[in-house]
Amino acid sequence: MNERGGGLSSRVFHYLRAINAENIKEWKIELTYKPDFIRQFLEPFVYLFPYFLYGFALLGGRYSEHLRSLTGIGDMVAYTFIGYLFIGFLNTACWAMGFSLRKEQWFGTLETIFVAPVPRWVYVAGMALHSTCHQGLIMLIQAVAITTFFAIVLQTSGIFLALSAVLLMLLGLYGLGIVVAGLTIALKQWWVVSEALSTLIVVVTPIAYPLAVLPFVLRKVAMFLPTTYGIIGVRHFLLGENLAVSLPTIFLRLSLILVVWLSFGMLVFLMMDRYGRKRGSLSVY
Amino acid sequence: MNESGHIVVQGIYKIFKKGRTDEVRAVDGVDFSIKKGELFGLLGPNGAGKTTLIKCISTLLIPDDGSVTVGGYDIYKESLEVRRHIGVLTGGERSLYWKLTPIENLRYFAALYGVPRKSVKNRIEFLLELMGLTDKATVRVEKLSSGMKQKLSLARVLVHDPPILLVDEPTLGLDPYFARFIRDFVKNELNRRLGKTILLTTHYMDEADELCERIAFMNRGKIEAMDTPVRLKQSMPQKQVLEIKCQGALDKGIFDGVREAASINVSHDDGLVYVRVNTDNPEVILSNIIELVREKAKIVSVRVTVPTLEDVFVHLTGASLKDG
Amino acid sequence: MWVIIEEVRKSFRILLAYPVEVVFWIFSPLLWVIPLVFQGKALIGAFNSTSFGSLAGTDEFIPYVLIGAIVSTYMFSAVWSMGNSFRDETYYGTLEHILSAPVRPGYILIGKGLYNSILSTSFVIVQLLICVFIFGLNITLAKIFPIFLFLLLLIVGLYGIGFMAAALTLLIKEAHGMLHMFEYVLFLFSPIRYPVEVNPITKAISVFIPLTYALIALRGLLLNIEFNFWKNSIVLLAIDCTLLPLGLFVFRRIEKRTKTRGTLADY
Repeated sequence: MNERGGGLSSRVFHYLRAINAENIKEWKIELTYKPDFIRQFLEPFVYLFPYFLYGFALLGGRYSEHLRSLTGIGDMVAYTFIGYLFIGFLNTACWAMGFSLRKEQWFGTLETIFVAPVPRWVYVAGMALHSTCHQGLIMLIQAVAITTFFAIVLQTSGIFLALSAVLLMLLGLYGLGIVVAGLTIALKQWWVVSEALSTLIVVVTPIAYPLAVLPFVLRKVAMFLPTTYGIIGVRHFLLGENLAVSLPTIFLRLSLILVVWLSFGMLVFLMMDRYGRKRGSLSVY
Repeated sequence: MNESGHIVVQGIYKIFKKGRTDEVRAVDGVDFSIKKGELFGLLGPNGAGKTTLIKCISTLLIPDDGSVTVGGYDIYKESLEVRRHIGVLTGGERSLYWKLTPIENLRYFAALYGVPRKSVKNRIEFLLELMGLTDKATVRVEKLSSGMKQKLSLARVLVHDPPILLVDEPTLGLDPYFARFIRDFVKNELNRRLGKTILLTTHYMDEADELCERIAFMNRGKIEAMDTPVRLKQSMPQKQVLEIKCQGALDKGIFDGVREAASINVSHDDGLVYVRVNTDNPEVILSNIIELVREKAKIVSVRVTVPTLEDVFVHLTGASLKDG
Repeated sequence: MWVIIEEVRKSFRILLAYPVEVVFWIFSPLLWVIPLVFQGKALIGAFNSTSFGSLAGTDEFIPYVLIGAIVSTYMFSAVWSMGNSFRDETYYGTLEHILSAPVRPGYILIGKGLYNSILSTSFVIVQLLICVFIFGLNITLAKIFPIFLFLLLLIVGLYGIGFMAAALTLLIKEAHGMLHMFEYVLFLFSPIRYPVEVNPITKAISVFIPLTYALIALRGLLLNIEFNFWKNSIVLLAIDCTLLPLGLFVFRRIEKRTKTRGTLADY
């Protein structure tokens, strides 16, 4: 153990292994709370139905001529469902990743893991991997159940491109998640920031409505969010939603946003980590 | 790598701001160096700054000033290398995942520390065997006793076989049986047999006296004295101690008028009060002290003995190790 | 009585240490109405819907959901704050001290409930004032007494639900998620965002939730929709008389169970 940490490739391999160990550990801990684990698979349904029922109440059915004129899709259920299905990854960023270090603090293990020879963002990345797998599984079940129940027909030919858009969106959201994780070190009421951010993102992202209905300012804000392009893209590939911008533009902007968000996220995290070690606020809550 | 095993601390300061004007000088200009394979103790009461110092050395805190090298690596510039070469054990129970089993915990930490995949299984089996936890390997940690949890924490610290161990109050809250086990293990197995360099902090005088080759007395962020336990005790100008064990409520203030004593310490243990008077002439002040004690408490026993580390600490700092 | 007042005072002191949280709780119900407004605009192209009107008694869906959001503050508060209050005490490490004090835990719970009610009512008043001044909601003096009457009847019933939520936290240590789920279920089956008549299942289940009657009455009063004053108040009173003792009973049973099993301060 006395030799230096090895070359770049062995270091990368070490970090990847640590990220995976974090992921496995989270699964194991999660599975010890069985009722809660089952609940997590049911909850998205209970969460989603009010949006459908609200639409039914407004329309007296599931078809909206106005929505069709705006987006090319008339089926309110299909439109809303795809939006809410993929915005589920916002939970990964704002809650799972954000909560990761605080949770270790509550377990009392934060300082124990922080003396291990891996950078601290590795733990947040491990949580991101875990939550992505977890959320992905929930989404898959949700997708099968809802499309069957409401007889929604998806364009299967678009799945690969849809997943590419989702992947880019997800990487951008990781940037956001690591910002929140960093803030948890310094702010006692980090969850308010997380809640406010996720509320803002839910409002401006075209989940259940197109960007066209948003006021000008909110439309501009939406331009900087990975969720905007992710949801628009995925709905275009799976349901054929009309696009206001070209496909290459969507992928280009998604790529640009993910680079900016990830870099910004890492910067904030490293600054907050340093701040926490200077102030000694790591184990305080 | 000749320097491996060394811990060199030079001029370390860590000051915490409290509000706008107040500050706590948790570590206030500390210097010491630990040789390879040495078992070095930091002895001081709660709040002396021992844990803050350990956190600085283990890269959990960034000092405000000073330099620290661990195994030849700088804590500021090579923090990952420092962490690769140390194992940190803290007292109390919450350094493990209670919902996981010992094997799952050790496997997780082996991955964090980059233990080669091929050797993980053998290493875990060896450590569980060493700690006598083989039959508890698949029981969730929450079901283990405090002592077993601390044994498992020791196994966790050793999972990557670090040359340097930082051991912070390792027997805190343990029953005498497990406390004995941990002390014997640290001294005989880790230090003597495996040759680990160990920095141990404690506020238990007996623990430091029994385990450490050298001890630094720490009080209010500063190191007051540093030497071997024997030499520290020999450094006392008064070679005898008058000890009175009694029952009742005693305050140190009642002895203010006693001039012949170099220092007087009043401590409480197991419902009894211990009055220890450092003096060269116990027979001269005996009657005076007994008179003062009898006014407030019932005397159980009186004896003349030699100074302990606690007496040295009181003599040097005026504070008791049980303060804080 | 003194215990209840002390509990209220302590809880307020803790809350006031977190001013950002207060601002957040005031604005959050108004914030989550915004997506519903945009969704309505996208689906209908206007801010009124005849289909909605035939079910809800008003074509204008924005004031409808706004009132739903504001009044649901009470529900969140009952389920969330009361449910989590004992969880918080576990984290502070004070739960065992509290439950071993020579006071009936019921009083502590009532203290927590009272604190939540005062807090929620202050939030609701601020939110209603925002609606009056910004969205032009019309509240006449004559309506104030019946509004408070229905709010009071709602709060008492929600106490019962809050007690059960608190009991759940003692029983299941990771109750955080369960409380969320419980909240979502209440959300789904109460006329907070939409008239429950939209679906026969939601309609059938909503009759057991106190929020249903309170919302019918409060919307009736605030939006001038016809409703049966006596029927709604009597049903709410009957629900209160059932839920409150039931909540206390469930809490006592579970508290006794956890004490017997010694799992009180577990994480």
